[in-house]
This record gives sequence, structure tokens and C-alpha cells, in this order.
Amino acid sequence: MSDLPRQSQVWNDSTIDDIQAKAELGRYRIRGFSQLRERPIPSFDDLTFLPCTLTRIPLEGYREKCNTQTVLGARFASQPIVNDIPVMITGMSFGALSYNAKVALARGARAAGTSSTTGDGGMLRAERENAKTLIYEVLPSRYGFDVHDLLAADAIELTIGQGAKPGTGGLLLGSKVSDEIAARRDLPAGVDQRSPARHPDWLGPDDMILKIEELREATSGRLPIFVKMGATRVFDDVRLAWKAGADVVVIDGMEGGTGASPDLLLEHTGIPTLAAVCEARAALEDVGGYGQMQMIIAGGIRSGVDAAKAIALGADAVYIGTAALIALNCNRPLYLDDYRALGTAPHHCHHCHTDRCPVGITTQDPDLMQRLPIDEAAERVTNFLHAMTLEIQMLARACAKADVHDLEPEDMRALTLESSMITGLPLVGTRRVFGGGPGWKRSTQD
Amino acid sequence: MEQIDCDNKTTREINTALRALISQGETEICVRNPRARHNLAVGLIQPAHIVFEGSVGYYCGGMGDGPTIEVHGSAGWGLAEGIMSGTIVVEKNAGNGAAAAIRGGTVIVRGDVSARAGISMKGGTIIVGGSVGYATGFMMQKGTLIILGNAGMALGDSLYEGHIFLGGQVEELGNDAVVAETDSQDAVFLTQTLAAFGYDAARYDFRKIVAGRKLWNFDKKDFESWRVAL
Amino acid sequence: MCGIVGYLDKSGKKNGQLGVTVMQMLTALGRRGPDSAGAAVYTPRHDEAHILRVKLGDHGDFAERAAEVIRRVGARSAIQEQAQDKEYLRLVIGYEGTPQDLQAAIESIHPDVEVISYGAALDIIKQVGSPRALDQRFGLERARGTHAIAHTRLSTESRIDLSHSQPFWAHGALDLATVHNGHITNYHKLRRLYEQRGVRFYTENDSEIIGIYLGEQLATGRSFENALRSSLKFFDGSFSYLAATADAIGFVKDPFSLKPLIVSETDDFVAIATEAVALSASVGDDAPTWEPPAGSVKVWTVPGQADPEPARSRLAAASFA
Repeated sequence: MSDLPRQSQVWNDSTIDDIQAKAELGRYRIRGFSQLRERPIPSFDDLTFLPCTLTRIPLEGYREKCNTQTVLGARFASQPIVNDIPVMITGMSFGALSYNAKVALARGARAAGTSSTTGDGGMLRAERENAKTLIYEVLPSRYGFDVHDLLAADAIELTIGQGAKPGTGGLLLGSKVSDEIAARRDLPAGVDQRSPARHPDWLGPDDMILKIEELREATSGRLPIFVKMGATRVFDDVRLAWKAGADVVVIDGMEGGTGASPDLLLEHTGIPTLAAVCEARAALEDVGGYGQMQMIIAGGIRSGVDAAKAIALGADAVYIGTAALIALNCNRPLYLDDYRALGTAPHHCHHCHTDRCPVGITTQDPDLMQRLPIDEAAERVTNFLHAMTLEIQMLARACAKADVHDLEPEDMRALTLESSMITGLPLVGTRRVFGGGPGWKRSTQD
Repeated sequence: MEQIDCDNKTTREINTALRALISQGETEICVRNPRARHNLAVGLIQPAHIVFEGSVGYYCGGMGDGPTIEVHGSAGWGLAEGIMSGTIVVEKNAGNGAAAAIRGGTVIVRGDVSARAGISMKGGTIIVGGSVGYATGFMMQKGTLIILGNAGMALGDSLYEGHIFLGGQVEELGNDAVVAETDSQDAVFLTQTLAAFGYDAARYDFRKIVAGRKLWNFDKKDFESWRVAL
Repeated sequence: MCGIVGYLDKSGKKNGQLGVTVMQMLTALGRRGPDSAGAAVYTPRHDEAHILRVKLGDHGDFAERAAEVIRRVGARSAIQEQAQDKEYLRLVIGYEGTPQDLQAAIESIHPDVEVISYGAALDIIKQVGSPRALDQRFGLERARGTHAIAHTRLSTESRIDLSHSQPFWAHGALDLATVHNGHITNYHKLRRLYEQRGVRFYTENDSEIIGIYLGEQLATGRSFENALRSSLKFFDGSFSYLAATADAIGFVKDPFSLKPLIVSETDDFVAIATEAVALSASVGDDAPTWEPPAGSVKVWTVPGQADPEPARSRLAAASFA
């Protein structure tokens, strides 16, 4: 017989803690990182690959060529970007991240032959100098927006929102709005920066057609234009991005991370990346854009396995954010006393918003930042990108693909009923598809 | 003055012609028949004097750094959005988001503007000879917005360090927008700035509107309790 | 999301360039809405007859359905004119009953049969595809009348087909039509309230609810302008919309000014459009133009008849001779 008193599943530890914290705060709670949901959501873990056995012939895993080159933006741009691998570093702001982190990411990506992306607050000169290919975000806030940086970029990412907190704007709390960050963003130092949710000069997809044209005109048609959105009404939103003339659409699922967000948005907005990539591909097929407008998926991509599954489901490339930071040292068991002082521990830390990052990644404190020497950190990023690439190639070769982009949904099966319904893949052990997939090809109102 | 006729040209052809003329050193350019076309003269980063004979559409002069642009007509949404420097003058009216997110330069609309003029401004100066609409100066971070006529609802909502000078009446101030005392420096600034565009500051009884600063930070008791509030 | 246009001839003439003007405006906005296009044209008549336009379905041979519509309408009223082209059947009739009864008699033939417009002056033409097709198929450029509203559509969340295209006739309300740019975000909630009371919706398109609301308001005796004004509080979301009746046109701009709308006006006309390019391409750049303020409403009424001659042309069900 257990001595422990019974506990309610409704009024459990985290709920009681949450209510009592709000009773002190008088507002919503804010934190960083990614999902901390207790109930699991459908994910790439619900799928498995079917490599070759008798019906197909695999490629030699360690020897035969498996191409990973990825071209993005050929729909309209005269200078599409060409990455060596289908994994890229997503937009994260200098402000949310430290200077060393931003430079390490740019340098690490370059060594792996891929791109990195600016973020809210504009472009760091060191980022441009250290990146092989740099994607320039144009966000609702327009903090630090500079036409010269736009012209020096390799692609433009028109950001509508992100997976962590779709429908809302950026957030950077006062302790991280240092003098330097404030100056770059034209804000008073120390304010709790809550960015606008909407762009200042366009509202709605019909206006977006004109905004995309403006960006093309300003760059004389050279640069690919990405439209980045948090995963909400993905089918409709991707069709609109196509109609508005984007070169590339970026969909960021609910697992997407952030330096700071209201907790309620992180947990209860957006749809899982698994569902988002399926909806996005179905939308592309619906408008006849599959193969013409590229699709990048983001949000909780943890490994080459997730990337391979996303590519098989229709993505042309994936962005990593949180995974790249973890490669940098996020949540590494170092400086244990500092984790403790924050009230957390390695593998549990989600305190990016506090400016006290024990490993110097999401802080503006120069002393903490010293814990992240750039060259070592860049090397870890490059190693992780290489590891992801090898994982993708291994799965591709086992499925008889000489090019990772030839991975197809039909190379996988679903392990659960829900994932079968979401992806349109047969449930393992059956030939049965329970829904989803091709059903999205018609209008949602059928 | 060099001439460009917009009729029978694509927007790309017009902008390419503008860039070509400017890089050849032809910096006095007259553009005829714009017919409210969008995206004209965007992303120009060299000095030039461009006159549009007629109305322009969205984003005219947007993302510029240097040009002086005159529009002898009206303008659509996002006039001169995001400019770093330069001067843009519109003789008639402008649509929503005039001079949105500008970081420097001067934007003058002699007629009326609709909603959200000066939204997210980060520097520079805006002058409106007529009236302004809803949420003018929303989230203005820096810079100055001078309104000679009346203002609609939510004027100066969520201001940071921007200043608004209002010559006429306002329907309602926005959240955290407060009226402050003008001083002699303000008077000098207004006189000089307006005189450059043919306006007499003495004809107006300007009120200065700034942030009350109540929205700049979350309410919090102290860092300790706030830090652990996850 | 879309482009909307409106035009009203203030000079009182009925034989001006209404169709040409509307085509110029729609063509200029075509890029904003490539999925479908439509126009509601108001041509006053000198008799008591009404114009009835029926959609016979989306696909197939409609001869049988057309015959049944004609039979049922013929049993209830005189038919002065009739013409059919593929899915459209256009009749001019002398019906004296209510629009609801007529509509019910026709729409009970088949679920795909729908009354597209019915009025003393109103005729609505619309189809999938670009604005150019409206002239190619229906001869829109040759239309004469006092006023018109029209629409080009970029589909956001609902289907692209004829019934989901605008302008919408407010079913059951003689001559009332609407065009909308934006998204009504309390549409589902309001729709459920209406359906509880037995109101039928024909589409999943949020824009449809505007006419339903206005029709209800007008039926209570409210003035057109007051009905438009009251909609500012009723609808949530983004909207610049135009509504028209047999003798008036009006706009509503949402309280946050989220969608564009430009007005150009002289003593001779008022022209309204989502973008100034549409005005420039039609009425030119000389007239004063302004963007209405957030939360504003304005109505213009057709002046007394300056031209006693009946309007000399009409839109065809098919292309005209």
C-alpha cells in the first residue's frame, strides 16, 4: 500500500504552481525555450522508414554518392541560394542571443556549407562577414532594418510570425535590452520590448503581394523572397504565399523555440510540425506549386532523422534553432551552481528570458558570454550539422536514393492511428490509410 | 531634367531606368504618368531629385537612403517606408502607414493621411499639413511627427521616445500618451523645420505629446520574484 | 482578400459609360484577386418588371433545369424575356409576390440551383477567372446604368467557385448586393445565431454574412445608411465593404482601418476602389481622392432621373448580339 496521498490530474503540481505564480504576478507568465507540455503531441517519432529489402536495392551506405545540395528560390529570383546541405540555421535575434552565439552560428554554418539567418533587431556586421550565405529577416518590428543590409544579403525572409507564438510579436525583456541592443533597436535601454504583431505597412495577403514586389524592386529581382509563418492555417496560408509570389515558404511548427514568450502561447498555439509539413505540401499540390515554390519546415527539428522525415514528407529543407543552440552548449552540464541559482538544472533549463544563461548563449552579460568562445562553439555547430547530414544520407541510401531530395512519403509508414490520419501514410502492418494526405488536395470545405 | 514615361513600361523597367540614370550621374529626373503605380523608386541609396507628375501607389520611395522625391499628386500606403535619409514631399493625400518605420529623413504630406502615419518610426521627421487618422504615431520609438491639422483616435498610442506636435484637435489620445509642456527649443525646432516647407509655425498652438512611460515595463515587484515567475 | 470597386453616376444619366468604367477598375485590380470576378450592375427600368438571374448548377447540361425554372416562374408571373447560357438563366418577369417565395420555388428544384440576383434594377454577373472574362462572356463593357459594385477575389479560406464569388446578392432582399475586402472574424458565431433562426447560408464564405445582416436591418425599416453604420459594431475583423440598393451605394470602413479603400469624387460621379490604380485607370487622376477614416460610413444616392429614356442595353445571360 502506498503512503503517498492521491493527487488530482486536473489540479496537479504544475497547475497549482502556475495559478499561485499568477496570483503574485498579476499577468501571464513568460519564459524561453520550447514546449514543456506534459501531454505528447503527434511528432516525427510516430513515423518509421522502410529501407530496401527485396523489392528495392539500397546504395552502399558508406560509399556511394548521395547528393545533399539544396537550391532555394529559383521560382522568380535571378540569384537563388545554393546550400551544400538541406539543413540551415533559422532566424534568431542578436538580443535574444549573445554576440558570440550569433557569430558562432554564422561561422559554423559556413564551414558546413549552409546558410544562417538574421533575426529581430537587424544584421550584425560580424554575421555578414562570417556567413557564407545570410538570409535577412524583415519583421513586423523593423528594428534595425537597414536597406544596405538588405542589399548585402543573399535572401530575404518576410516574417509574418513564428511557431512559438504565432499571431503575436517579438519579446525581449528589459534585462536583455542592454545599451547596445537598445541602440541597435532605437529603444530606451531596459524597456520590456514587446514588438508589434503586424507589419506597419501591409495588412493581409493582398497587400503582401505588393510588399513582396517592393522587396523585389529594391533588390532588382536578384534575391529570393521567403515568407515565414507560424503553423496555424497552414493549407490556406501556403496557398496565399504562392499566390502572393513568394519564392520559398517557411512554416514553423508549434514546437518552435524562442528566447522569450508568454508561456500560454508556447503551449497552446499552432499545430505540430508533423501536421504542418503535410498540410504545406498538400497546399502546394493544390495550387500546382509543388516543385516550383520551395518549402522549408522548422519547429523542433532535433536530428537528421527528423530532417529526413520532413524532407520525405515534402520539405525542401529544414531550419534548426533550438537544436543549434543545444549544439552550442545550451543545457549542457557545466556551471551547475548557476543553473541552480536560476532554480533549474541542466536538461531542464528554459530560462533564456532571464539574461542569466549559464553557458553564455542567450545573454547580453559579457562575463557570461565569455563562457562561449566563438571558435570552439562554431566547431560544435559544424560537427552537429555534419552529423545531421550523415544521418539524412544514411536513411536516403538505405532507401535507394542517390539524392536526399528523392525521399518520398512512400518511404515511410505510420506507427500510430493519428499519424496515419495526419500524414496519409498507411499504418504499419496494414495497407490502410485512415485519412489526411490526399484528402487535403481538395478545398477544406468538401 | 531627364524624363521617364511610365506608360507601356513594367514597374521593373521604370525602376531600372531610374537606377541607370542615377548611376550615370543624371540626378534630376521627372517621371510622367505614374498613374498610382506601386513600388516606384524603392531601394534607392544614392542622392537624386525625382519628381513624379501625378499620383503614386504603395511604397513610393520606400527603403531609400538619400533621394529627394516630390509627388505632385497623392500616394498610397507605406509612403517612404523605412527610409534612412532623404526628403519625400507629397502635394495631396497619402494612405495608411505613411512613413512607417522610417529611421531618418523627412517625409511631408501637405494634404491628409489616413491611419497609422509614423507607425514604428525610429528617427526622422514627418510633417502632415492636413489631418491624420487612426493610431497615428503608434509605437513611435524616436523622431518627430508634426501635425498641422486634426488627429483621429489613438494618437500616439504606445509611444517610446518619439515626439508628436499637434496643431489641431485630437479625437482621443492613445494608451500612455500624455500632453507635455513645449519649451523654447521645441519652438525653434518647429519654426525652422516648418519654414523649410513653407509653413508658418506661429499660426498654430502646438501641443506636445510624449509617452507617459507606464507601458515601458511589465509591472513587477522586484527582480527576484520576477525571475522565478516562469 | 480582394479588390472591390464601386461607381455611381451623379449626373443622372442612365446611358453613360458605367460598364466600361467598371471593367477598367476591375482590370487594374486584377492582380489583387486572380481567382474570380463579378459585378452587380444597376439599370433602372421604366416598367414594374424585375430581373431574375439563376445559376442552374456548376457542371453539366442544364437544359432540363432551365426548363423547370421557366415552368415554375411562368406559373407565377409573366415572363417578358428569357435567355440561357450554360449555367446562367436570365429572366425578366412581372412577379408580384415576395422574393422569398420566388426563391423557394426556384431553389427547391435542385440543391445546386441558386438565385444569383433578383431586383428591379440589379443584375449580378460573376464567374471563376479573371475580370477580362466578364466582358468576354457577358459584355460588361456595354452595360449601362446608374451605379455598380464589383469585385475581384483572392481566395483565403473558402472555395473558388461561382457561388462563393462576389458580389453577393443578399438572398431575399430585393436589389441588395455587397462586395467585401477583408475577413469577418466572428462569422461562425454569427452564422450559428442566424441558422438557429432558420436563415439559409449558401456558401462558407464569411463575406456572405454582410448582406444577410443588412437585409435583415432594411426589412425592419432601418435606413440604408443606419444599417451600414450599425454593422460597424456587429462585425469583428477586417472589412472595407461596399453595399448597394436600387438607388444607392455606400461604403463601410472597419474601426481599425485594416483594409484599404480610396474614394474619388466630383459633381459628376463617385468612384471607390481598393487601390488608387483602379481610379487612375478609369476616372483618371484629376478628381480629389481620399482614404476614408477608420470606422466611417458614407452613402450616395442616385439623383432624380435626368434622362427620361429607358436604359438602352442590358447584360445578357450569354454574350450579346
